[in-house]
Amino acid sequence: MNEIKKPFKWVGTAPVRPDGVPKVTGTAKYGNDYTLPGTLYGKILRSPHAHARIKSIDTSKAEKLPGVKAVITAKDFPDQNFAYIGAERVAVNFWHVTRNIMAREKALYEGHSVAAVAAVDAQTAAKACALIKVDYEVLPHAIDVDEAMKPNAPLLFEDMKTRGVEPAPKKSSNISKQLNFAIGDVASGFKGADVVVEKEFRTAAVHQGYIEPHACLARYDADGQGEIWSSSQGHFIVRGLTAKLVGMKLGDLKVNPAEIGGGFGGKTVVYLEPVAMLLSKKCGHPVRINMSRDEVFKATGPTSGSSMWVKIGAKKDGTLVAAEGIFKFQAGAFPGSPVMNACLCAFAPYNIPNQKATGYDVVCNRPKSAAYRAPGSPISAFAVESVLDIVAKKIGMDPLAMRMKNAAHIGTPTIAGPKHAHEGYAETVQAILDHPGYKTKLGKNQGRGAASGYWFNGGGESGATVNINADGTAVVATGSMDVGGSRASMAIMAAETLGIDYNKVRALVNDTTAVPYTHVTGGSRVTYATGLAVVGACEKVIAELRKRAAMIWDVDVEGVVWEDGHARPASTNVGEFDPLSLAELAAKAGATGGPIGATGSVNAGGQAPGFSTQFCDVEVDPDTGKVTILRFVAAQDAGRAIHRAYVEGQIQGGVVQGIGWALNEEYIYNDKGKLTNAGFLDYRMPVASDLPNIEALIVEVPNPNHPFGVKGVGEVNICPPMAAIANAIANAVGRRMESLPMSPPKLLEALDHRKGTEL
Amino acid sequence: MTAVPVPVRVVFTDGFSHQYTGGLKEFDLEARTLRDVIKTLDERYPGLGEHLQEETTVAIDGEIHENPQYQPVKAGSEIFFIPKLEGG
Repeated sequence: MNEIKKPFKWVGTAPVRPDGVPKVTGTAKYGNDYTLPGTLYGKILRSPHAHARIKSIDTSKAEKLPGVKAVITAKDFPDQNFAYIGAERVAVNFWHVTRNIMAREKALYEGHSVAAVAAVDAQTAAKACALIKVDYEVLPHAIDVDEAMKPNAPLLFEDMKTRGVEPAPKKSSNISKQLNFAIGDVASGFKGADVVVEKEFRTAAVHQGYIEPHACLARYDADGQGEIWSSSQGHFIVRGLTAKLVGMKLGDLKVNPAEIGGGFGGKTVVYLEPVAMLLSKKCGHPVRINMSRDEVFKATGPTSGSSMWVKIGAKKDGTLVAAEGIFKFQAGAFPGSPVMNACLCAFAPYNIPNQKATGYDVVCNRPKSAAYRAPGSPISAFAVESVLDIVAKKIGMDPLAMRMKNAAHIGTPTIAGPKHAHEGYAETVQAILDHPGYKTKLGKNQGRGAASGYWFNGGGESGATVNINADGTAVVATGSMDVGGSRASMAIMAAETLGIDYNKVRALVNDTTAVPYTHVTGGSRVTYATGLAVVGACEKVIAELRKRAAMIWDVDVEGVVWEDGHARPASTNVGEFDPLSLAELAAKAGATGGPIGATGSVNAGGQAPGFSTQFCDVEVDPDTGKVTILRFVAAQDAGRAIHRAYVEGQIQGGVVQGIGWALNEEYIYNDKGKLTNAGFLDYRMPVASDLPNIEALIVEVPNPNHPFGVKGVGEVNICPPMAAIANAIANAVGRRMESLPMSPPKLLEALDHRKGTEL
Repeated sequence: MTAVPVPVRVVFTDGFSHQYTGGLKEFDLEARTLRDVIKTLDERYPGLGEHLQEETTVAIDGEIHENPQYQPVKAGSEIFFIPKLEGG
C-alpha cells in the first residue's frame, strides 16, 4: 500500500471495517436471511418464450391447490400512465416499469414474470406455478441490436416512435430514442487530420454478476401499512418504486436495508419487492421471495450489448483534431439503456475541438438493461481507446504520450457543453508512464496495452444523523446502504471532523423511517455526498459542544474553539480553562441542555469526475487463443482516499470485472431467443486463479469542493480494461479484436484466418 | 449574490434545444442567480422552466450544481443545462 503523509489523523488510513466481523463470522443478515412468523414462500412463473402475446392466464387450478394462499397476475397491480417522468437519462416510465415487474399484454423476453404465487413451502409454490395455464401466441423475436433496428424487425411495441428525431417518424420501430451531441465541426476537423482511423466494434451484454441473488421479505398489514426487508442499492428507492407500483403512500411503507452481496448498479431497481408486497396484501401473511441464479441471469438487468462505429483524426504530431462515434445500445425489453452516458463519456478525457456522438436506445427481446458500474462509459471506451491505440501506432507515438499530449484540463470543452472544472486525468497518465513495469521488455506472444476512462461521478441527495453518547462515543447513521465500505469511510470522516478516535464511532445504515431521504448507493456518489451530510451533521454537533462548554465556563460561545476533539478557550482573554473533551461534555449533556445530536442533509453538487489510466501485459497462446493476464496496473484519481484499502479494493474490483467483460463474459442466445448460459458454469467470470495481483495506484488530486478532497472511486476503474487488453493483444500477436468478449475461439479464428499484421 | 444583474451566457445541448427552443442553443441574458435565468427563459418559452428544473443538471463554469435555484452567478459565467445522469 502506498502510504502518503497527510495532515489527517484518520483520513487516508485503513482501519478495521465495521462490517468485517459480522460478515466473517456469518452473523451479517442478507436479503434472504430475514423471516417472520407465518412467512410464506413466494415464487414467480416466468415466460418460456422470448416474445409472445399473452392471450389468457388461468390461475384457477393453482388457487385450489392446498397450501396456496395467493396467486397474482399483472391485473392485480394498478396500471400506470404512459409518461416519461424526470430527467432524460434517468426518465422513468411507470407504464414500462409495471410491465417489467409483471407482463401484461406481451411477454417480452425469456424469464419475463407473468404470475406469482405464495404458498406454505417451496414445493407447493412450484407445483402451483406449474398449474397456472398461460395461453401464449408466440411471436418472432429480435435479440441483436443491429437486427432489431432493421425496418422489418419484429416490433416489441407496435406504436413505438423514436424520440429525439424531428419531425417525429411516422413509422414505428424498436429505436426508442436517438441522441445527438456535438461541439465544433467534425467534417472540417477530419479534413485537417493527417491520420484518420475508423472502425466498427461490438460488445456483448454482460451481467453485474453479484454473488447474492435478489431476495426480499414483505409484510402488508391490515391497516394498510407495510414493511420490507431486502438487499438493494437504495432502500429509499425500493420504498418509492414499491409504493408507486403497489399503490401505497410513502409514509405507510418502511424499508429495512439488509447487507448486500454485491450490486454494481444492478440493484438500483426493483424486481421482487412489489410482487412480494402484493402477495402479502392478498393473503395477509408475510411473503419472502428469492431468485435462483437462473432467474438472476434471465430476468434482471445485464448492461447493454452494443454495436459501435468510431472515427478519430489526428495530426502527425499526435494532436487529436476530430472524433466521431455512433453508439447503438440494446436497452433490453424496455427503453433505457445507458447510451447517453456512452456518448458523453466517450471522448471526455481528451481535448478534441471537433466531436460528434450519436446514440440509439434500442429495445430487443432481452431482460431490461440495468446500471452496471459507470453505465455506458466502458462500452464506448472500448471502441474509442482501441481506435486511439491504432492512431498512435500509425503516427509512431507512444499511446500514453499521445494521450498526455491531448489530456483534458480545467477549461477543456466537453461534448455535453460545460468545460472541465477539475484536473486529474493527466496525473493518472503520468502515474502509469512513471511505473517501472511500463518499460520492461516482453517475450514472445506477449504484448502491452494501455487505455484510459472517464466517469462523471455523482452528487445529489443524502441524509445523516450523528448522536453523541454519554461515554463520548458517537453513532453515525446514514441512509446510504453500504455496498463498498461507506460505513468505514463515514466513521473515518466523522472521527476526523469531531476529533475523536475512529474506534469510538459506530457507523450504521438506518431504515427509511429513521434517517432523512437518501438517494441510491450508485454513481460513485456516497463518499462524496453522504460524506458531506455526515460532516455537516458533525459540524452542527461541534457547534452544540462549543455552546455547552461556553455554558460551563460562563463565557460567550465565540470564545470557545473546537480543536482535536476538545473545547478550548479561543484565547487567554477568554479566561484560563482546562480543555473539555467530547467525552467530558457528553457526560454533562443532561445538565447542560439534554442529548447532543444533529442531522445533516444535502443535495450535493460540486462533485469532481473520475479518471483512470491502466496498462496490462498479456500472453496469447497461439494454439488455443487463450489470453493470460501477466500484469495489470491501474492508476485512478481518488481526489483523496478516505479508507485506502477500500479504494484499492474498488480499483481492483473494477479491473477484474473489466477483465471478465474483455475475455469471457457474454449472454449467449439460441435461435429461439433463449439464453443458453444462465449459470456461473457457462457464464465465465474471472476467478482468483485467472488473475495476477492488480496493482492499484491511488492518484490524489483533491476536490476543493469537499472538506477532505473526495472524488468518487467506485466506477471509472471498469472503463479502461477492455481496450487495454485489446491493445495488448494487438501488440502481442498483431490481431485487432473488435468484438467482445475476446474469447479463445474468436482469437483463434483471427489468428488462423486473418493475414498480415494488424495495428 | 450580486446586487444587480450581470451578463451571463446560457447553453443547451442539441437535443434539448431541438425539443424546447426551436433549435436555439445559446442565450445571452442578465441575471443575479440561476433562478433569474430560469425565470427569464420561462418567460420566453412558457413551460421551459419546469423542464429545466426537472430534467437537467446545471454546470456553472464547469462546476455541477444539483440544487441551483439560489446559486449566484458571476459576470461572464457560462451556464450549461445538461441532462441529469445516473450511475451504477
